[in-house]
Amino acid sequence: MSPTQEFLIKDEKVYSGALSCRGCAWSLLARHLSSILGDNTVYVVPACCFSIISGPYPLNGLKGNIVHTVFAGASATATGVRAALDRQGKADTTVVVLAGDGGTFDIGLQALSGAAARGENILYVVNNNGAYMNTGIQTSTATPYGAVTTTNPGGGYKRTWPKDLMGIIAAHNLPYAATCSLAYLDDLRRKVRKAADTRGFRLLMVDGPCPPGHKTDPALSISIARLAVETKLFPLFEIERQRYTLNYIPDKEVPVTECLKYQGRFKHLFNEENGYILEEIQEHADHYWRQLQTKAELSWNGKEKEKT
Amino acid sequence: MLEEIKSTSLAGEDKLPKYRDHEERILKGNYAAAEAARLCRVGFIPAYPITPQTTIVERLSEMVANGELDATYINMDSEHSVFAAAMGAALGGERVFTATAGQGLFYAHEVLQAISHFRLPMVVCNVGRPSIPWNIWSDQSDSLSQRDTGWIQYYGESAQEVLDTIIQSYMLSEKLNIPVMAVLDAFYQSHTSENIWVPSQKLVDAFLPPRKAGAMHIDLEHPKAFGGLVPPEHYYKFSYNAWKDARKVEALSTEIAARFARYFGRQYSNVEAVNIGPHTRLVLVTVSTITTTARGVVRNYPDVGLLKLRLFRPFPKTGVLEALRALPDDAVLANVERNFLGDAEGAIQQEMKRALFGARNLRMLDFYAGVGGKDVPPETIEKIIYQAKNDPRDISWADVD
Ligand SMILES: Cc1ncc(C[n+]2csc(CCOP(=O)(O)OP(=O)(O)O)c2C)c(N)n1
Ligand code: SF4
Ligand SMILES: [Mg+2]
Repeated sequence: MSPTQEFLIKDEKVYSGALSCRGCAWSLLARHLSSILGDNTVYVVPACCFSIISGPYPLNGLKGNIVHTVFAGASATATGVRAALDRQGKADTTVVVLAGDGGTFDIGLQALSGAAARGENILYVVNNNGAYMNTGIQTSTATPYGAVTTTNPGGGYKRTWPKDLMGIIAAHNLPYAATCSLAYLDDLRRKVRKAADTRGFRLLMVDGPCPPGHKTDPALSISIARLAVETKLFPLFEIERQRYTLNYIPDKEVPVTECLKYQGRFKHLFNEENGYILEEIQEHADHYWRQLQTKAELSWNGKEKEKT
Repeated sequence: MLEEIKSTSLAGEDKLPKYRDHEERILKGNYAAAEAARLCRVGFIPAYPITPQTTIVERLSEMVANGELDATYINMDSEHSVFAAAMGAALGGERVFTATAGQGLFYAHEVLQAISHFRLPMVVCNVGRPSIPWNIWSDQSDSLSQRDTGWIQYYGESAQEVLDTIIQSYMLSEKLNIPVMAVLDAFYQSHTSENIWVPSQKLVDAFLPPRKAGAMHIDLEHPKAFGGLVPPEHYYKFSYNAWKDARKVEALSTEIAARFARYFGRQYSNVEAVNIGPHTRLVLVTVSTITTTARGVVRNYPDVGLLKLRLFRPFPKTGVLEALRALPDDAVLANVERNFLGDAEGAIQQEMKRALFGARNLRMLDFYAGVGGKDVPPETIEKIIYQAKNDPRDISWADVD
């Protein structure tokens, strides 16, 4: 990727004074999203940190309509909003769900799957910060293997692997789904544009830095997000009707520990007796990457898709 | 103009009334509900099947498919999603209808709260059935357990009443921005055919104007945030406003029913008194189809009256007191329950006691009668009357004790 000015926000759609913690993904994500999607957008937000960040009544942090809705119901509420707008000839208005990982991987998965399978014309954006942050860092099914949260009855840290949401989403045969990182803004902004220009159900999953939840230095949020991509813990890829494209191939092998070591939630893994867990995580990341590579190869008849 | 389309009850060759601008049809209760939704020109119908509601959403699907109804109909993934979608479309300005029953209503509980707290108008039919262990028969524990969700609740005695109540409900709901639940009895009503007078579209259009955008409406020109974090002072104020509007329901419902009678020729009241006067010793208090059975029985008992509750939430206290005005203080009320909510007394007696507290000191007897779909035939009503007169007990299970 050659350096561009594409990451600059030219048309600010978020008022100053966001209520997030320092170094939070939500605020930066909302600024980029809204600057691209523009005014003709309705945001649907289930319970998550963004419900708070966007401002208490009577404030609205976004220069757009926000419909706050029940935790499990974002995709369904968006379906109703979409239907109403369509009936009133406003098919060009973008309806966007902004949800957390808990609201997506767990409680909202059924409604999400329903809307995706129906092909609702909705853009779904999930900020995956790997836990229920708003309620105080409880384990979700997106929480990484080995991470500490405030609910780990199994012995201090999560001992199961997170759900492969992108795999689940791919199985819905969506026109467009992609992973995005706030450390790769050119790529993120291109994907938002592409998603906005696609009709049907689209999903973007963003790797979401959360300093209090990940026990990280707020100043390192973007650096750690970059390392997640470089170490292949969070690969950047797109899925178009089950066809995969890898968007960023790191030019050198960086071990996962390089990313994990900055995060207090993984601190215990660096004790000698837990070394095997780090190995498991490395193995899991490598395997997931190989799977993606294979899928990408198979997707376009053996030829890698031309980079867009 | 209004005079022209105004419908009146004409005495025909036989005793049955005839109504102008109506078509006489034989319809099951569920189909009558679907006809009402069509006539109200609903724009959005999110649907999920559950016995005994299914034929309502099946019929609506057919209407949308064949062009009888211009609505967006979506097969949702659950009732939680049905109500969440209903909420989204109502915020978008659409007139929304759906139907559910039992587990579906229980499942939607969270969103029922959200819809009423968002002050969104809509009308939903519930075909009453109780909770698992599986039972699909008539029981009002589902809707009565949701009586405190901020929705207006009507219980229909006949399929005609359901159809007519739905039409009135849209007007009430859209005037006050409070959602309405119109409740049918499973099978006795949902799947039983009746002679129904279906009004013409012209008549309904003259009565019910299209929905107007209110404050809770997505306006792309003037963006707002709906339902975000509301601090205590504001929440308190919102609740105060909701309370003020809830207090208008009883009178407005009466007013709308009177207007409805002028257009359609059929009279409805929030509560109906049958044979209640100075001579009455006992009054049966009933909702929905049990009322019809009781009507037949009390004809044979000159000293037994009947109080039918059509509006149940907000509870029509004024109407109840008015209906009982001529009743002597030593008369007895027998509340006939088709619900069991885990307390000693059923929902009807709880509400009746609250309504009468401080105003009338009438003895009340509670009779659990139709729980779990158990039939309430005339014999059960007679048993209740007999027991109330000869062996009055505070609470009894009519067919057990
Ligand atoms: C039905 C229901 N259950 C639980 C909650 C409590 N709750 C509110 S926000 C939240 C956490 C959200 O987590 P996530 O979706 O990951 O978003 P984040 O806070 O991490 O941004 C929870 C559990 C709720 N609002 N509704
Ligand atoms: S807890 Fe995490 S997700 Fe929530 S506002 Fe703070 S940084 Fe953002
Ligand atoms: Mg989260």
